[in-house]
Amino acid sequence: MARYLIRRLGQSLLLLWLVSMIGFAILYLAPGGPLSQFALTPGMSEADLQRLAHQMGLDRPLPVQYAEWAWRLITGNWGRSYRDNQPVLWVIASHLGATFELMASSTLIAVLFGSWVGILGALRRHSLFDALSTVGAMVALSIPTFWFGLVMIYIFSVELGWLPAGSRFTLGDGSLLDYLHHLIAPSLVLALVTIAIWSRYMRAAMLEVINQDFVRTARAKGLPERVILIRHTVRNALLPMITIAGLQLPTLLSGALVTETVFTWPGMGRLFLDSISYRDYPTVMGILMCSALLVLIGNLLADLCYAVADPRIRLD
Amino acid sequence: MALPVLPSLDRRTLLGVTGAALLGTGVRAQGASKPPAAPKGQVIVGLSQEPTRFNPLMPAIEVDQGVWWNLFSPLWGVLPDGSFNPMLAKEVPSLENGGISADGLTWRVKLRDDVKWHDGTPFTAEDVKFTIDLINNPKFRAGSRAGHDQVRDLTVVGPHEITWKMAEANAVYISRLAWTFLVPRHILGAVADPNDAPFNNAPVGTGPFVWGERVAGDHLLLRANPHYFGSGPYLERLVFKYIPDMTVMYTQFRTGEIDYTSIQGISPDHYAEAKKLANRVISVNPSASIESITPNLEKPQLADRAVREALYYGMNKKAIIDAIYYGLPTPTESFLPAQSWAYDSTLPKQQHDPARANKILDAAGWARGSDGIRAKGGVRLAFSDSTTAGNYAREQAQQLLIQDWKAIGAALTIRNMPAAVIWGDYYRLSQFDSVMIGVTFGIGSDPDVTDRFASWAIPAKGGSGRNPSQYANAKVDKLLRQGVAEFDPTRRKAIYAGIQQQVREDLAILPMFQYATIEGTKKGLVGYTPNINALSNCWNCGSWYWAS
Amino acid sequence: MGTAATLPAEIEAPPAGSRALRRFMHHRLALGGLAMLVLLTLNSALGPWLLPFDDLYIDIVHRFAPPFESVHLLGTDQLGRDMLARLMMAGRVSLTVGFAAMLLSTALGTVVGAVAGYYGRLTGTVLMRVVDAMLCFPAIFLLLTLAALVEPGLWTITLIIALTSWMEVARIVEGQIRALRERDFAVSAEVMGASDRWIIFRELLPNAVAAIVVAATLIVARAILLESYISFLGYGIQPPTPSWGNMLTNAQQYFDTAPWLAIFPGVMITLAVTSFNFLGDGLRDALDPRMELP
Repeated sequence: MARYLIRRLGQSLLLLWLVSMIGFAILYLAPGGPLSQFALTPGMSEADLQRLAHQMGLDRPLPVQYAEWAWRLITGNWGRSYRDNQPVLWVIASHLGATFELMASSTLIAVLFGSWVGILGALRRHSLFDALSTVGAMVALSIPTFWFGLVMIYIFSVELGWLPAGSRFTLGDGSLLDYLHHLIAPSLVLALVTIAIWSRYMRAAMLEVINQDFVRTARAKGLPERVILIRHTVRNALLPMITIAGLQLPTLLSGALVTETVFTWPGMGRLFLDSISYRDYPTVMGILMCSALLVLIGNLLADLCYAVADPRIRLD
Repeated sequence: MALPVLPSLDRRTLLGVTGAALLGTGVRAQGASKPPAAPKGQVIVGLSQEPTRFNPLMPAIEVDQGVWWNLFSPLWGVLPDGSFNPMLAKEVPSLENGGISADGLTWRVKLRDDVKWHDGTPFTAEDVKFTIDLINNPKFRAGSRAGHDQVRDLTVVGPHEITWKMAEANAVYISRLAWTFLVPRHILGAVADPNDAPFNNAPVGTGPFVWGERVAGDHLLLRANPHYFGSGPYLERLVFKYIPDMTVMYTQFRTGEIDYTSIQGISPDHYAEAKKLANRVISVNPSASIESITPNLEKPQLADRAVREALYYGMNKKAIIDAIYYGLPTPTESFLPAQSWAYDSTLPKQQHDPARANKILDAAGWARGSDGIRAKGGVRLAFSDSTTAGNYAREQAQQLLIQDWKAIGAALTIRNMPAAVIWGDYYRLSQFDSVMIGVTFGIGSDPDVTDRFASWAIPAKGGSGRNPSQYANAKVDKLLRQGVAEFDPTRRKAIYAGIQQQVREDLAILPMFQYATIEGTKKGLVGYTPNINALSNCWNCGSWYWAS
Repeated sequence: MGTAATLPAEIEAPPAGSRALRRFMHHRLALGGLAMLVLLTLNSALGPWLLPFDDLYIDIVHRFAPPFESVHLLGTDQLGRDMLARLMMAGRVSLTVGFAAMLLSTALGTVVGAVAGYYGRLTGTVLMRVVDAMLCFPAIFLLLTLAALVEPGLWTITLIIALTSWMEVARIVEGQIRALRERDFAVSAEVMGASDRWIIFRELLPNAVAAIVVAATLIVARAILLESYISFLGYGIQPPTPSWGNMLTNAQQYFDTAPWLAIFPGVMITLAVTSFNFLGDGLRDALDPRMELP
């Protein structure tokens, strides 16, 4: 086990290095740069832009810039955002809350509603409900999120005026109710896809479990259907779902970019998009490294969970 | 000596004189009520970009400048009519009052003695010296050094008087200083590296509002400065809210979540509907930004003046303005806004005349090929036009132009790119065929366009300005040099008229129209005054208040 | 066991052929999806010839004509162009992007996965770590930065989508090949002295076809969606060429004044993507009943 862990850790570090190199190269080689935004600012001229590029070290060869960035990262200095001059980790942390709020609420909706749809679909296999939920899930997976979001805004904000058109809270209000009010539309839009995924997984997991020995045994023992359902079936079907939920963790960092854009949600997705479009290199690289780290941790945990849950899987 | 005129008083006098015509509907409520005795209420300003840079000497975009006007003060500001109003200085130096020597080389500025920084420290001439020295500090990432790098022998004469010499006579420097906000020496002078100073995220200025709090990605809150040297502020809080989507911004304006839509304002598509909103005031403000097709004059298809003339005749400007911009912007022939004191209104007017365009091209030897596209000497009259991807109005205008120019045998293709890409090397180093672009050519109210049209300002040829169309004309070069060194307004006006005529004659750009920004405020907001010269209409939030 | 040359016949006969077809035919949703796709493809391929309108012809006077009220069956757009004609032409573009991206990414993924699965050890580890590294990137990062590297156009966008979609296929193929290569027929082919290439492409891959086809179908669906997201983020196919994605994106601001501009392309995308998802679902059920959704 220890040997396995060390090897996996080594591989993960190697992977991080690879990700940082590829990411850095693509980002810096892409045309344009952090100074493009000033090309049209009245009063600034080519001389200023060239001086700034030199002062920021952007005119040095790429490997030199990479080495410097990587060395700083190793020593714990993630650099400062080109945009607001704050430390990158601070910038990331200050956007995490909004995204977490959105993710948590939409995941909650998705887990509750999706599980319900999935369980019911599995129990009444081939029923009308099952067919409809299958079709519904497929359609939900196929709708462009931003389009659905815009339709929501159009109907519920513009036409009916029931929901706010965006933002996380009303300035000057900021009560819990106000937060929740703003949360409804974006979390529903975001949940649409997750409900679909979740219900399909849940249905599959349930079908797997239903036909297993212990469920049949329980039924043979004459336990009430309800007890069987809750105590044996659902609980066992939920186990693999936890892993799936864990694997969704990294999406926290790139955020629900499209949903956040449509609903002007001040979270990680917005930050990522803005940082890329302003070519805020330190912030983009910071988010990239954090999200790669999360992916790796997620993978590792998932593997470990599998191993613990299923003794047939040997780790070395 | 006369009492210094308070900035807001000065503004109000001005409103009385030229107000209505110049300022549109923003002044409608003026005079209906008086400002409150103590700061009261708040205004939420909606911005489509996020203000993130709070050191006013570092590179920034317009939204940042809108915030700076409220936290900081320059020595003098620039008013909507283009004149200057003293702020931290007692008076604006000029040849007449002796602030500037007759040769234009020695400047002497007297400062107000009643100004305090937000932390209570008095503002002195040392701060002025520190600010200009910091801009020229080789280690400091200053936004622009233009003009400041000509300052020599900067000397503090007394606590409230400063003098310096200029390397060359520079009439534009007064406009540059109107955009230069002063920073405190006692704070920024005490840190090891001003580039990463805590000040950059907790700025201390002399403006009408003090730093409150910032929620990154969402909003910025400023509070009233009770010790402001001018009149006002009348608002307790000023909030800048970041709303990246214009449709959402409009919806929030409609629902009343924001009080004022700034910078990109309201899209022309929503104008008709916005006008009908109850309790909202919509104003269409002329902007200094001139929309044009800027050709790359070194491309063989576009180097020929006949081609540019034909393209200009072939362009249905009116259709673009009427259909896409709902008739709001004003067609123009100049690179200066019609409100500029140097604007030349006698330039020849463009007509949409495809027949004439065809004739010009025939005469110039551009013959139609079998595909209907003209060519001359192996050069096909085909080129691309680029602009920021995602700018729907411009993309529609480009598509109209494809059809317009197809009729005269020119093939236009669209090659749009994201902002960070197009305005990088592609634009600066003249890699484009043509761009559709809105440019503010002058410096504040000053018509100097040396950076834009001088032959030594072409970055692709090692120049230091921003002349990517690679325009070079000896006559214009000479006039540009004269214009900068000349202080007399009448003579300057003649010089810049000459430049406008020559640029129009050469069609260095194909001017389309002067932008009009549609901004909305809630009814009852008094003091909102668009300022074409200030880069942001948040330039005077200190004198805003709600009619009671 | 015969010679290497006769081997394929033996293993190429998974008796499931007709059974799979039967299972597929029973899958009503998949059939519906297939029918819809055929319809969409025919519509996009032939439709423009049957219409009297050009998708690029601007008629500014008649813009924003509502659907079902004039000769323009589905109305006109913000520049007065016929919506139906544009939707058909956009279908060509969007479906082409979807199919081409699928072909590219499947080819790349299959080759990488097969090589990695067959050789294992160092080659396999290195290749699969590269796959892992690519999967570490948020898709949106790759899309936006790669889009900045190239000029936006039909083929470059296809390429970018393909570059962000091949990793799944590579993983699936690698897993399959790794499992298959230990099986008798592969081992015996190796003993028989067949070349690596032969074994990979003739012996192993045909057994992984089912999984690849299913993955490929889903990639088409994903590619069509991604094209619309790229447009939404401002890096899409250049005007005036219509795609469902850029039509939808450009219609955003008219949502309250001319909703049909956004509704039609949105419906088209959803239809096409749903059809591909159904098809993939049905294929999976038919080809490999053990695999379950999603």
